[in-house]
Amino acid sequence: MADEGSDRLLALLADAGGGPALIRRICELCVSDLAVSGASISVMGGQTVDGSQVLVHTTGLIGVKLEDLQLTVGEGPTVDAYNSSGPVLVADLATEHWRWPAFAPGAAALGVAAVFSFPLQVGAARMGVLDLHRTTTGPLSKRQLTDAFQLVEASTVALLDNVESGHTMGPLLGDMHNGVHQATGIVTVQLGVSIHDALLRIRAHAYSHQLPLNEVGRQIVNRELRLEMED
Amino acid sequence: MAGTSQENAPGASREKLLARTFVELADTLVDEFDVADFLRTLVEQSVRLMAVSAAGVVLSDSNGKLRMAAASSERAGVLETLAVEMDDGPCIDCLRSGHPVASADLTVDTERWPRFVAAAATAGFRGAQAVPMRLRRQVIGALTLLNAEPMRLERDEADLLQALADVATIGILQHRAIVRGEVLTEQLQTALNSRVTIEQAKGVVSAQSGDPDMEHAFTALRGYARAHNLRLAELARSIANGSADVAAVITFASKLRP
Repeated sequence: MADEGSDRLLALLADAGGGPALIRRICELCVSDLAVSGASISVMGGQTVDGSQVLVHTTGLIGVKLEDLQLTVGEGPTVDAYNSSGPVLVADLATEHWRWPAFAPGAAALGVAAVFSFPLQVGAARMGVLDLHRTTTGPLSKRQLTDAFQLVEASTVALLDNVESGHTMGPLLGDMHNGVHQATGIVTVQLGVSIHDALLRIRAHAYSHQLPLNEVGRQIVNRELRLEMED
Repeated sequence: MAGTSQENAPGASREKLLARTFVELADTLVDEFDVADFLRTLVEQSVRLMAVSAAGVVLSDSNGKLRMAAASSERAGVLETLAVEMDDGPCIDCLRSGHPVASADLTVDTERWPRFVAAAATAGFRGAQAVPMRLRRQVIGALTLLNAEPMRLERDEADLLQALADVATIGILQHRAIVRGEVLTEQLQTALNSRVTIEQAKGVVSAQSGDPDMEHAFTALRGYARAHNLRLAELARSIANGSADVAAVITFASKLRP
């Protein structure tokens, strides 16, 4: 497949291992590849942002301050990306004062001119947000945006893997079959867990039995396999 | 027409359906425009208008990475996903060449698409016709008709299919041009995630109802969304995150079935 761009990025992540090291490498790659000033990954819980927000990694002090600012004023691109389940792309923060009357001037005071936030999610399983900021205005180029989405997918998988770091990165979202997602819904009902937990359990089963994720999904959909609580 | 038509629309009502479909596909300048819903309309209306068994759309992002984006049925979705993975089949050739690619009878095209033909046979399809979704030199995807029986479109039918693909392409591109000026990539990402959410919701409905047939789960979701004027992606989200009344969806669907 004509996919050199993403292959190149994934190759750069290949030797990073898993867990925190991988998250850090992804953030660094955002800065070098997408020509932004900083990148952060936050993990969130619950249906909406309710303060249960944890900054997993950021490439610099401004990232920490932006996070603090958003938690303080309760608004901003991270919050909007998470709640809307869609990317928030702001090429010029100065034009968005109406949208974030408290966040926009606060971010400007930190020298931030553009922000780009992407939800980290698998369907309805929302896990966190990847935030980019730049001290100069201007949109991400088409190429940068495409690369950003590859790094968003890598971040999503990295967060799923974070619980048991060390193994190599699993399949990206686009490579998961529908069966995996259908199985996630099935396991949600069977075990009475959230969609996020159901996906983690399916992945854990695949790892521990050394089966491809898509195969485990197929077995669950065909009712050949039923995960148990302690699985 | 293409062999097996279950609901071969008589002239007048077909004309109406045709007119309505073109208006629907052109009307993308609305706030709540959603690519996933839009493509679903495209495949469903293509199935009705062309009287075939199923239809699917594969889209290409700006990296050239292909993804199954919409399908009128579970089996068609699985087949188109496999086509992308195996890098084989009329839809792939159509995307690459930017020209229509047809197989009146897939069983005689085993040499051309060995893996796709085998997968199509498993899924129960004998005929396929793919047309490009193209604006000038940019090919953003392929719309593929699939039929349980061999099929060959007449010239005017093929023209109509291409016209549907063209108006859908213009609809998508004009929406993105006017609303954001941002690349299609962003919308495709959102569309992909809402498709994932729908699959998760199908799993929930299937497990809750005890009916393992995902096609039934999808029909239930779609029927309930339509009857209650909900967007399918929104209904799916609230079902997958546990905030919707799944029992109501299942009860609703059971009333529809004979």
